[in-house]
Amino acid sequence: MIKPLTRWLTRGAQSEIHADYLRRHRLRDWGVGIARAAILILFVAGWEVSARQGWIDPFLFSSPTRVWELFLEMTAKGELFHHIGITVSETVLGFILGTAAGTALATLIWASPFLSRVLDPYLVILNSLPKVALGPLFIVTIGAGFGSILAMGVAITVIITTLVMYNSFQGVDPDYLRLARAFGANRFQLFSRIIFPASIPDLIAALKVNVGLSWVGVIVGEFLVSKNGLGYLIIYGFQVFNLTLVMMSLLIVAVLATLMYDMVSRMEKRLLRHRNT
Amino acid sequence: MDTYAIEADSVTKVYLNRQDEVHALKPISFRIHPGEFVSLVGPSGCGKSTVLSLMAGLIRPSSGCLRIFGKEVTAPSNRVSYMLQQDCLLDWRTVEDNITLGLEFRGRKNRQTSHDARQLLELLGLRHTLKLFPSQLSGGMRQRVALVRTLAVEPDLLLLDEPFSAVDYQTKLHLEKLLTDGLKIREMTALLVTHDLEEALSLSDRILVMGGQPGEIRRTLEVPEELRSADPLTARGMPSFRPLFNELWKEMESHDKTVD
Ligand SMILES: Nc1ncnc2c1ncn2[C@@H]1O[C@H](COP(=O)(O)OP(=O)(O)O)[C@@H](O)[C@H]1O
Ligand SMILES: [Mg+2]
Repeated sequence: MIKPLTRWLTRGAQSEIHADYLRRHRLRDWGVGIARAAILILFVAGWEVSARQGWIDPFLFSSPTRVWELFLEMTAKGELFHHIGITVSETVLGFILGTAAGTALATLIWASPFLSRVLDPYLVILNSLPKVALGPLFIVTIGAGFGSILAMGVAITVIITTLVMYNSFQGVDPDYLRLARAFGANRFQLFSRIIFPASIPDLIAALKVNVGLSWVGVIVGEFLVSKNGLGYLIIYGFQVFNLTLVMMSLLIVAVLATLMYDMVSRMEKRLLRHRNT
Repeated sequence: MDTYAIEADSVTKVYLNRQDEVHALKPISFRIHPGEFVSLVGPSGCGKSTVLSLMAGLIRPSSGCLRIFGKEVTAPSNRVSYMLQQDCLLDWRTVEDNITLGLEFRGRKNRQTSHDARQLLELLGLRHTLKLFPSQLSGGMRQRVALVRTLAVEPDLLLLDEPFSAVDYQTKLHLEKLLTDGLKIREMTALLVTHDLEEALSLSDRILVMGGQPGEIRRTLEVPEELRSADPLTARGMPSFRPLFNELWKEMESHDKTVD
């Protein structure tokens, strides 16, 4: 029993001390994994037991079994995927459009230092403004629907992306620019061959932040418009006092947001695999 | 052959900014013949890099006239190549695509020139790095790749701003040798900025000693023929090397005192 376990823990070892090193590190990895799982299990079990024993009000806080049953029921009817699909497409479109528009705007103000100085105070104002406060404005102009919610997702990401990317463009090592200019590079070549590629790590960092931000924009947008989506399920569940629905939607949002962030992280690893930092 | 590779006539440079103006260069004048290897030495801040930037066409003189191969410098010239202390390799490109960067910017990248650049890389013993990324190379290898990129545009004039001051001694000697060999074959003119007096003495035909702030040329030293023709490592061991080194050293020290 012990022998195979030891062998497995020390697989790939080059020597006695390497085996010892591997065994200790792999045991610690296991410890971390087990502790993580334990927290989750304790939380869910504690929640369930507290609800059943009446330590917390099951009407307010629901319980894991109720959430699960509701999940199965709504999945069977297919309506859940309708809501998930809408929210996910709004969010994905929102952060892609927001990041793209922000990068384009940053490029524009990089190309024109005059424009950059003119727009500077406006960007600062727009950046300080809580973007969700623009919701009602979007609804009046675009109409209560997909468009408004998408606009929220974009609005919340575009300005911060502009500022971050412009800063990144400005931060490129001047020696690289001197070298390129000495080789006769024009401004377009300077941007497309040196400045933009050098700023890709910052672009991906912006993308990671924007994933989280666009969820905020989209959920708040759905609160306001209230027809479809997970944000709608949350606000609806709250209005009819179906807290099980609220909890379930929250959990789904948490899982989806994590998955999206993880996807961007994987993309980051792929794109930046040759870079030093 | 009456045109000079470089002709500087009372060239000055004043950097302007909102707070004040920085006088970087007093009027300086010098001439360099085609095929000559000239070094600029002097304490930091005396305007050596400014002189190179002026010749690379990155900045304009505040007054005076600067000509390269008889033509006044108004923009970066296709006959010039410029190399810095930092290798400035693009991390996201393979070595193969880094060495052709200059050709690309000059619109001269084609099958033939790319092939020539690869041959140069091979000559410098880096054939195996063609498909590698800069992050996979050592510091010395990176600087060699940068040297290939500099030479790939087949310049007539080479501007070098402390190119070997960030690599270890052994690599430095190796690179110096490669450089002098390459220059002899192609009959290039070179202007090297360095704070390493040994390097200046073992590589150049002539040394311009700069000093002061704003900077000026305080002395010109002709390097004797026997040191010029020897390769950089041999030259360092020759009997006439030390006295000249000491002379240069004293010259620099006296400049330090005038700054105080
Ligand atoms: N872009 C610039 N703006 C203002 N002052 C500068 C600039 N570049 C260099 N200087 C100043 O000009 C002087 C000469 O600089 P530099 O040519 O870099 O000297 P060196 O290369 O000999 O160390 C220094 O006093 C430096 O501070
Ligand atoms: Mg310098």
